[in-house]
Amino acid sequence: MRKKSIIIFWLSVVVSAILCGPLYAVEVETLVRDAVNYYRGNASFSVVDMTIHRPGWERTLTIKAWTRGEKDSLFTIIAPPKDNGNGTLKKGEEMWIFNPKVNRVIKLPPSMMSQSWMGSDFSNNDLAKSDSIIDNYTHKITGTETHDGKKVFVITSMPKPDAPVVWGMQKLRVREDLIFLSQKFYDEDLLLVKAMTGTEIQIIDGKLFPRVWKMQKADKEDEYTMLEYRELLFKENLPGDLFTLSSLKNPGR
Amino acid sequence: MYLQLGWRNIWRNPRRTIVIMTAVIIGVWAMIFLGALMRGISEQMVRNGITTLTGHIQVHHAGFREDPIIENSIDKPEVVKAALSRILPPDTRWTTRVRVDAIANNARHSGGVTLVGINPEREARISFIGQAVTEGAYLKADDKYGIIIGKALADKFDTKLGRKLVLMSQDTKGGIASRAFRITGIFRAEMEATEKQFVFVTIASAQKMLKLGDGISEASILLADYKDADRIADSLKGVLSSASYDVQTWRELLPFVTAVLKMYDWFIYLWFLVIFIAMGFGIVNTILMAVFERIREFGLLKALGMKPWWIVKEVLTESFFLLILGMVAGNVLGFMSVFALAGTGIDLSALSEGLEFAGMSRIIYPVIVVKDIVAANLVVLVLGLLVSAYPAVKAARFTPVKAMAHT
Repeated sequence: MRKKSIIIFWLSVVVSAILCGPLYAVEVETLVRDAVNYYRGNASFSVVDMTIHRPGWERTLTIKAWTRGEKDSLFTIIAPPKDNGNGTLKKGEEMWIFNPKVNRVIKLPPSMMSQSWMGSDFSNNDLAKSDSIIDNYTHKITGTETHDGKKVFVITSMPKPDAPVVWGMQKLRVREDLIFLSQKFYDEDLLLVKAMTGTEIQIIDGKLFPRVWKMQKADKEDEYTMLEYRELLFKENLPGDLFTLSSLKNPGR
Repeated sequence: MYLQLGWRNIWRNPRRTIVIMTAVIIGVWAMIFLGALMRGISEQMVRNGITTLTGHIQVHHAGFREDPIIENSIDKPEVVKAALSRILPPDTRWTTRVRVDAIANNARHSGGVTLVGINPEREARISFIGQAVTEGAYLKADDKYGIIIGKALADKFDTKLGRKLVLMSQDTKGGIASRAFRITGIFRAEMEATEKQFVFVTIASAQKMLKLGDGISEASILLADYKDADRIADSLKGVLSSASYDVQTWRELLPFVTAVLKMYDWFIYLWFLVIFIAMGFGIVNTILMAVFERIREFGLLKALGMKPWWIVKEVLTESFFLLILGMVAGNVLGFMSVFALAGTGIDLSALSEGLEFAGMSRIIYPVIVVKDIVAANLVVLVLGLLVSAYPAVKAARFTPVKAMAHT
């Protein structure tokens, strides 16, 4: 058994060495981490149009978002007026939502974590566990492509045994300048469940960034959620009192 | 003399006798058989209730039953365990469990379940799960990531043995506890609702996931004789103060089942009465006809010096024979149908979706309860004789003169 696994290990080392050169095999963990950090920045402020598309209908919400580091983020809806003021605060893996109509803050119970966020194709878990891709997976570069003349790494990420994640596999496409092009989610049969792709890469606030993100359910052409950045500012830091329950109630104070 | 007279009289018109006897037979059979079916249903309900993680007595932290949240766990299980091993008779089986509401997730599905952390060895001797695993294997005590789920849940989640299931719940610190389990077993239960609701892991992994320490949600006790439940529950209450512990018997734990049991008791007797009323009219009618046919005969008997009371007795004897014959045959038939079905039961799985709602099983085994058999036979015999009194008195009232005038 042991011998066999050693052989398999060396075999995979050799294969990956042939495929992508030994350098990347060592660097892939850092590559993913750096890409996530690049995408997230130290801190950011943004205004995003979120379009939820379904076969029968479509609606667009405009969201103001602040993020800081890996743990903290605050979202609040500013349009349409009907939903104005609805907010979500995330600190670590905990989330609170605020509904101005009932003027109440609710801490999201575990039962709601797997439900969709604001009716979109993102689940609350997708937001709360955004670090999961770094912590809970082992990554391997399984191919390279080119995109706009730049090299793109195709990374296959398998969940670590016993990691509390539902996906059976994720596939990431990361450009050599650390831009996420896509993230695909597979079930345990390795069938595609949903995929997020970033397009319209352009310079925003001095940094190359995909302006449009689309989360698409597999096999359902007309069910997707699109995020379009209207404004995006990367910051060195944001004040800590921005990410509190009181600012959830009064955003943009 | 009455016996001989009565016996000969009923066979003077065999066809009529057989028709009314058939009515009595069918009536008695229906009472016994349907009564046994209803008892079977209710017994199955009680058994289902008790083996579906209830037991005869349960100990909870005070307030857990009203609000089954993790904060209402028993944080000093050793107190409860000590009390149980001191008070319970040696042939009693008991176990401790962790039970919380949780959300199960896989890549495509998510849904609410009840996460039950069990001590595999002790649990197997108490609740249904010990024998229920049909695919894969039952939990082992040191299984850190194994989970057993119901067939219906597996179908709903499009999952199977060896696949992963992520459970999320609230931990004792108020945070979100999540843990990935591998499906190591799939169980079948009497009811689909049970298969959908419960997932089983080892108590140690549940405690670790929920940061419970040694804490437990409940202790469940299965007595050798369920009739002792109240007595033993009382002595447990004496040791475990009601301020911090709730001790309850299955009657309190399963209020719905208890209510249904009571209802069935009345329902069965009502059923007996309804059948009898239909049967009673037949009996009165037949005896009345037999009496009217023999007006001249009764007149003659009277003229010969027979007292009215003797005539009443004679007619009642006839009806007694009818009833007894019908009852004997009806009982035999009833027992035979019950025994014929005792092995296979009646499979209602075609209707099971509707029945499940009422907490009934897929297969019903009729159960004979002595009390019901006695009641059914008494109802037929006593009320049968009572209604026959009317034609009997009528027969006794004919005077010889009137009878002779009657042609």
